[in-house]
Amino acid sequence: MDLVLRALVLFAGVYLLLRVVGRRELAEMEPIDFVLLIVLGDAIQQGLTQDDYSVTGAFIVITTIAAIQVVVGYIAFRSKRMRVLMEGEPVVLIENGNVLEKNLRRARIAEDELAEEARLSQVASLRDVAWAVLETSGRISIIPKQS
Amino acid sequence: MAGAAPDHIDLGRHRDWEGRTYERWLPNFLFGLICLLPLGALLGLFGQTPDTQTVANPHGMATMTLIAPTKIRSGLLFQARFDIHAQRDIKDAVLVLDSGWLESMTLNTIEPSPSSESSSDGSLALDLGHIPAGKLWRQYLEFQGNPVNAGSQSQGVSLYDGNVPLLHINREIRVWP
Repeated sequence: MDLVLRALVLFAGVYLLLRVVGRRELAEMEPIDFVLLIVLGDAIQQGLTQDDYSVTGAFIVITTIAAIQVVVGYIAFRSKRMRVLMEGEPVVLIENGNVLEKNLRRARIAEDELAEEARLSQVASLRDVAWAVLETSGRISIIPKQS
Repeated sequence: MAGAAPDHIDLGRHRDWEGRTYERWLPNFLFGLICLLPLGALLGLFGQTPDTQTVANPHGMATMTLIAPTKIRSGLLFQARFDIHAQRDIKDAVLVLDSGWLESMTLNTIEPSPSSESSSDGSLALDLGHIPAGKLWRQYLEFQGNPVNAGSQSQGVSLYDGNVPLLHINREIRVWP
C-alpha cells in the first residue's frame, strides 16, 4: 500500500514542481538540464521504492504511475478548465513582426533566444515572423509571414 | 501580413492575458512554497541533527545526558548516546527505553552490550550492572528508521538502580516519511 501512496505523492509533487519550473526551461535541454534530470530521477527513485528491490514492487510503482498518467490525461482531455490548470495556455510572443515584450518577460524568454528559434525555423528576421507562440509543451511555434 | 490568429489562439487570453490573472500570482506562490522545503531542511526541521538533553537526580545520585536526534527521516541511520555520570555508587544500573525506541526501528548495535535485556511493561530494559561512584558509563545505540515508519512516537528513557528510579528523560521522536 505504501508504494502506491508514495507513487501518488511523488507524482503530484513532481507534477507541481515541473509546472512551477516552467515549460520553457523543460523544453530546452542543455547539458546541465540533462544531468539534473538524471539526478532528479535518482532522488525520486530512492524515496519511491526505498529498500524494496522486488519485481513486484517495481511493477506496483510503474503501473501506479502509468494509471495516474492516464487518468490525468483523460481529465485534461475531458475538461478544458483542468487542461488549462494542468498544462497551462499558449502565449503569443510575436504578432505581425512585433515582439510582445511584456509576454516575453512573463515567459522568461530573451529576445535573442526567440531570434534563435526563428532561425531554426528558417526565418532570418523577427520582423518576418507573423506569429510566434510559446506552446504548452514549451516549444515555440514560428509562423512566417506570407510573402 | 500576419492575418488572422492561428487556430485555437484566443488573442484576448493568449496575447493580452485576459482572464489569466491567477497566472500572475500562482506561480510565484507555488515557487515560494517550494522554497520553504529546502529552507526548513536547512533549519533542521526534517532531521536529523542530534539534540542534547541532560537530567540530574535531585539527590545527587547521577546525571544522564542523551544525545540523539528527535527528528529523523525513514530509512536513515542514527545514533543515540547515553552518558551516565554516577556521582554515587549505582549497584545495578538499568536503562529502560520506551517502546518508541524500537517500534518500526531497527536496532543495529548496542555497545557496550548489557549484561541482560528484558521487557519491562512493554519497554526495553537494559541491565548495565554496577557503575562505581565518579565514573562515566557511555552507552551507544545505533538505529535505523524502517522505511515504512512515519509519525511521532514516545522515546522516554529512565535510569533505575535496581527497582529505584533515578532519572527520567521525556522525549518524542518524529519520523518523516
